[in-house]
Amino acid sequence: MRRIVVHLSIGILMVCVALAMQGCPCPPEDEEPTAEMAAMGETDALTGEDIALTDPPEEVIYIEPTTPEFETIYFEFDQYRIRGADEMSLGRIASYLREHQDVRVMIEGHCDERGTNEYNMALGEQRALAARRYLIGLGVTAARLSTISYGEERPIDHGSSEEAWATNRRDEFTVSQ
Amino acid sequence: MQRSRTRNVAGAALVLALLAAALPGPATSQVRLSITKGFGEKVIVAIPLFRGGRGTLVNAEDVRTVLRFDLETSGYFSAVENLQFVDEVEADDRLTGRIDFVEWNALGAEVVVKGEITGDLENFSIEASVHDLAQGQGIMARRYSGKPRQWRAAVHSLADDIVRQLTGEPGIATSKIAFVSDVTGVKQLYVMDYDGENQTRVVKDDLMSMYPDWFSDKDRLVYTRFRGSRQEVYVVRTTTGEQARLTSFPGLNAFVAVSPRGNEYLMTLSRDGNPEIYRLASDGSDPRRLTFNKSTESSPRWSPDGRRVAFVSDRAGSPQIYIMSASGGTAERVTYQGSYNTSPDWSPKGDLIAYTARVEGVFQIHTVDVNTKEVVRLTTGGGHKEDPSWAPDGRHLVYSVRSGGKSDLTMLDIYELEPLQLTSGGGDYLSPAWTP
Repeated sequence: MRRIVVHLSIGILMVCVALAMQGCPCPPEDEEPTAEMAAMGETDALTGEDIALTDPPEEVIYIEPTTPEFETIYFEFDQYRIRGADEMSLGRIASYLREHQDVRVMIEGHCDERGTNEYNMALGEQRALAARRYLIGLGVTAARLSTISYGEERPIDHGSSEEAWATNRRDEFTVSQ
Repeated sequence: MQRSRTRNVAGAALVLALLAAALPGPATSQVRLSITKGFGEKVIVAIPLFRGGRGTLVNAEDVRTVLRFDLETSGYFSAVENLQFVDEVEADDRLTGRIDFVEWNALGAEVVVKGEITGDLENFSIEASVHDLAQGQGIMARRYSGKPRQWRAAVHSLADDIVRQLTGEPGIATSKIAFVSDVTGVKQLYVMDYDGENQTRVVKDDLMSMYPDWFSDKDRLVYTRFRGSRQEVYVVRTTTGEQARLTSFPGLNAFVAVSPRGNEYLMTLSRDGNPEIYRLASDGSDPRRLTFNKSTESSPRWSPDGRRVAFVSDRAGSPQIYIMSASGGTAERVTYQGSYNTSPDWSPKGDLIAYTARVEGVFQIHTVDVNTKEVVRLTTGGGHKEDPSWAPDGRHLVYSVRSGGKSDLTMLDIYELEPLQLTSGGGDYLSPAWTP
């Protein structure tokens, strides 16, 4: 029996919602979600594809992803203050956590390459802690939120341009345990 | 000096089994050089080719090259340049069986280091003697023995003994530098000799490792390791690679500094919700918080007497260097120039703190005098210089220099300011820590 399995990506849906409400909160070089959206069409999250009639699918199953893709948030140079543009992203993470009480989140803080290696490790932690404090403020239990700093060690964009730096100054959120 | 990238696979080979024995003769260990040198003046040393070496795996020319490098790098010596004249006088000495002090003086030499290499393919000995040419007397005589792979270490020991004997200051030739490199694709812990030789990987796994610091035994290192989604601090024995976890607190477990006596640590933790400085017992337990600020407190380093702490804080709006008691309490700001001063390291002599400061967009190495607050900029030019670490002589620094998209380690004599690049392996060489 052949099955078509469609994985709904919360991350992609969230970006779509964010786009509709306030424009893209991400830096322009954060192409991944928008590229996928382009492939799916501008308005619909799901799209169809022609398949050979000789082998029709007998069943279509929709599976809600077990691992949500939380949105990355970004920071100004040398800052760890949460930007207004990212408050909705954090709000959505908080609401997901309210609905999934068994989920714990690891917050990874990252920096661009411009500070010293050493001090960036502390700055990355401050970025992670800033998001943690914000989520606690939205009612998430502190024990469900861990932090780790990678300083400037794990850039998304290895370039040395303003765009690359903006992409790299970020918090990433992943489900832990 | 050749910088062959020979890796000493057997870490245990770095454990020296050198036998330094005083030879019978007129030399005594108390004698110092009769010449008094002013600040910056160098002792002129003649280094004739050591005799012997045939039938051993120790090459006399290599011995001379390393000895000369060591003595000159110490900052206290300058070698007689004309080796042909040096070797001719030495040949005459061997014929007559005595030291022709007049001829040596004519070369401009103030001391001469003579030696002989003996042994076989399994073992070697280097016997060396140092003579004060003004007084016409011996200063020291020693024998260094070991396995062939230890010949460089033997020469380094000889150099350090000469430096200590003639200047009373500790040498650095036998010192080592721990660092982090990503040549394997992941930042890993390495140890090398002070001259960049014998680079040896300490821990053989693929976990990202950073911020090494030495124990006073010059064998164990403490460092931060990224395991899973945690920062953890480990203590590793560099000669064997065996290690044990020290801390695994939530959040930051970074910038660990071993106390001068090796029985306590300072480090940055964020377990209470903000990066703060903590003091921990020797087993990593009982973290005692030393700072209480909403700002970022980071990068603690002990003063050599273990009573004070240099650290970074952005409590005044930008990262600056502060000092406080190792028990905590009021902190005193010591840097006021510029808006980005980080990575302090307290000189083993106690007077200076080296650090990284951003000057016109480029990180440069500086020192600040703990008492007078006088700032001296040590480096210039493009390329970020970061993470200075003091040599045990309180005179040399090692730091990373970024150039062409990668970082290498460079040594600097703070009185002479001629940088000497120690690594060139492709990839990044970072976070150097000189043995205490």
